[in-house]
Amino acid sequence: MSKILKQKNQITVPSSLDYLKDVDDFVEKRLKRVGLPEDLLADVAISVTEAVTNAIVHGNKNDLEKSVVITLEITEQEIIVWIKDQGNGFDPESVPSPVEKDNLLKKVGRGIFILKSLMDEVDFTFEPEGGTLVKIVKHFKVVKKS
Amino acid sequence: MKLSFSEVKDVMVLSPRGKIMGGPDATLMHDQLHDFINQGKKKVIIDLAKVDWMNSTGLGILISGLTTMRNSDGELKLANVTDKIQSLLTITKLITVFDTYDSVEEAVQSFK
Repeated sequence: MSKILKQKNQITVPSSLDYLKDVDDFVEKRLKRVGLPEDLLADVAISVTEAVTNAIVHGNKNDLEKSVVITLEITEQEIIVWIKDQGNGFDPESVPSPVEKDNLLKKVGRGIFILKSLMDEVDFTFEPEGGTLVKIVKHFKVVKKS
Repeated sequence: MKLSFSEVKDVMVLSPRGKIMGGPDATLMHDQLHDFINQGKKKVIIDLAKVDWMNSTGLGILISGLTTMRNSDGELKLANVTDKIQSLLTITKLITVFDTYDSVEEAVQSFK
């Protein structure tokens, strides 16, 4: 089984949703240091859990031998988060719309929709050597206290 | 997420706290609702006042709770929906599926 590994702006976790809270704690701790408004902080935190859930469940198929790597880049104007899995990839456009009447009562299938709704940019890259890299970006302005 | 509950008249009020994001969260609410059903308690309110935020898994947990109660001839309503959760319910159109109330008291009254 792979292990949880923390570096300055990167956390690597085994493919189990039991580690989702570790990822959220790691990400929120760093976002709070920037002085991100609570509302934006929640949007990014929610989005990271969506992308990591997809990576664990749909990418790595809950295989504990595989890891998910989450990397943060925080600048003065934007938060960028990369989420990389070791799975076989998928077609994001093939996911049915969760807001169609027939899909409203489904328990799953809203992750990418929410991700795209909350973030300013969402990009999926399917690596030639395998694995999916998701890049999510949120722009922001820090209001400095005088 | 932490979960507690209370009973107001014959209505069960479930009060999750923290963030609802999946992992162990998914079974907690499901198990509690099944306990209520087994005890013949079929009117449930989920008080969201102390929930910081939830993701799509959290929304799925609410949907699952709603269908579980409806399948047992029960009802599930939401109270104290925070702005962040209201926004998620709106963009996913789930606001059209749930009965929501500004307070637990209002939700309790609605069962009459």
